Formats: sequence, C-alpha cells, structure tokens
Amino acid sequence: MRFLGYVVLSLILGLLVGRGYRLNFGNLYELVLYILIFIVGIELGQRFETGRIKEFGSLAITLPFMTLSGSLLGGVVASALLGVGMKWGLAVAAGCGWYSLTGPLIGQYSVIYGTLGFLANLVREMLTILMYPLAIKGLPKGPAVSIGGATTMDTTLAVMTKYGGSDVTLVAFVHGFILTLLIPFVVPLILQL
Amino acid sequence: MNIFIPLILGALAGYLLRRQGKRTNLNTPMNAVLLLLIFLMGINAGRVQISAIWLLLSSVVFAAFTIAGSVGMAILVGRWL
Repeated sequence: MRFLGYVVLSLILGLLVGRGYRLNFGNLYELVLYILIFIVGIELGQRFETGRIKEFGSLAITLPFMTLSGSLLGGVVASALLGVGMKWGLAVAAGCGWYSLTGPLIGQYSVIYGTLGFLANLVREMLTILMYPLAIKGLPKGPAVSIGGATTMDTTLAVMTKYGGSDVTLVAFVHGFILTLLIPFVVPLILQL
Repeated sequence: MNIFIPLILGALAGYLLRRQGKRTNLNTPMNAVLLLLIFLMGINAGRVQISAIWLLLSSVVFAAFTIAGSVGMAILVGRWL
C-alpha cells in the first residue's frame, strides 16, 4: 500500500510539472519504458517454468483466460458507453489491473489514453483490495479471484489469502502468473491493430 | 523500437540467469524505473488539456466494467468445469 502512495505521488508531481513548466526530455520516456519492459522480461524469464503450470488444476489454468476475455468484453461496453475508440478501450481493458505496464505502453501512442489506462487499472487494483472480502460472501471464492486480474500473484495475493483461505492462494497465484505472461504480449498486439 | 524486442531479450536474460542459478531480485530497480516512468507520463499528460473529472469517471467506469466482465465470464464458464 505504501508503494501505491508513491505511485500516485509520482503521477501528481509529473502532472504539476507538466502543467507548470515546458520541459523537453526528448526520448527519455521511450528509453525508460524499454528499460522497464526489459526488467519485466527478466522477471518472466526467471519465473516461467512450463512444467510447474501443469501441476495445477483446470480452474487455475482456465480462469486467467476467462478473466482476460471477460475484461475485454467489459472494455467493449465501457468504450461504447464513454465514446472511447474501441482499440483504446480494448488496450485499457487488456491490462487486467497491471497499471504500471498498461499506462506507459498505451502512453507511447496516446497521452490521454495512456493516462486512462494507468488510472483505470490502478482503480481496478484498489477496488480488488476493497471488494474481494465483500464479493466472496455472494460469489464462489475461486472465480472471484478474477476480480484482481494480473495483480493476484503479488499486490492483492495477501487479501485473497486472508479472506479466501489457503486453497484460494494457489489459484490466485497461478491466475496472476499466467496473466502476467499474457498481458505484455496482448496489450501491444491490440495497440498495433 | 518494437516493444517485443526488450521483452524477449529480457526473458532470455532471465532464463539464462535461472539456468546458471543466479536469480536476481529486481524489485528495487523495477520500482525506481517505474516511479520515474510514471513521473514522465504525468509530465506528458500535464502538457495536454484533459478534464480531470472525465478521466477519473472514465477510469472508474472501465475498472467497474472490466471487473464485472471478468467475474461474469469466470462464473459462467466455471459452471462447466
């Protein structure tokens, strides 16, 4: 939660500097983005082991695909309601809560939709922390994991474990893990449509 | 540059580190790069005239519909599993 505070602070500081000063950083944004993507790649390479995925049940493996397709469907509806272009809406929705990747990726093409992608996915993470304990009172604990999208393997895992129990922990981790593998490929693919 | 190039190069580097038993904790550099990137994104966004209320409302709408879509699909398909 503390890091989330730093994230919001960085964004607000940036917005204030951008409003107040005419600074030109050249290609620094792209350069920093590529460094972030490279680090994300190293993380994936260090963690990804095909053999381990097979050990988990069918729910843990199919759930991420349901989460992603449902999120895209939600993005289509939200785009239509708000009058946002379908490509941008789908890219925002494909982030599945991974704001730190989705915002900067979309930001390469459009500053406005990049900021929307960042905030919408940040709100999704915050809503997950607030809503998961309430959601499992009316929904099955396993499928309810999909609320958190890609965040279920790290930032929201503790909430899932605390309220859903240890049997949900494994499903949540695998769910987040598979989405973390998919999203860095799905968002750029949508943006290139 | 295509975004897939640093991603695949990073994944290869990560795989090689894992194979050599030299897994590294990248939390600190990732957090630092991320905060810098968000700051730069804020600067870019600050230059453009955007309605803060539209942005905030749209973010909540997107978050709500993507969550509803994900949970709806998970429950629907979960019944057949």
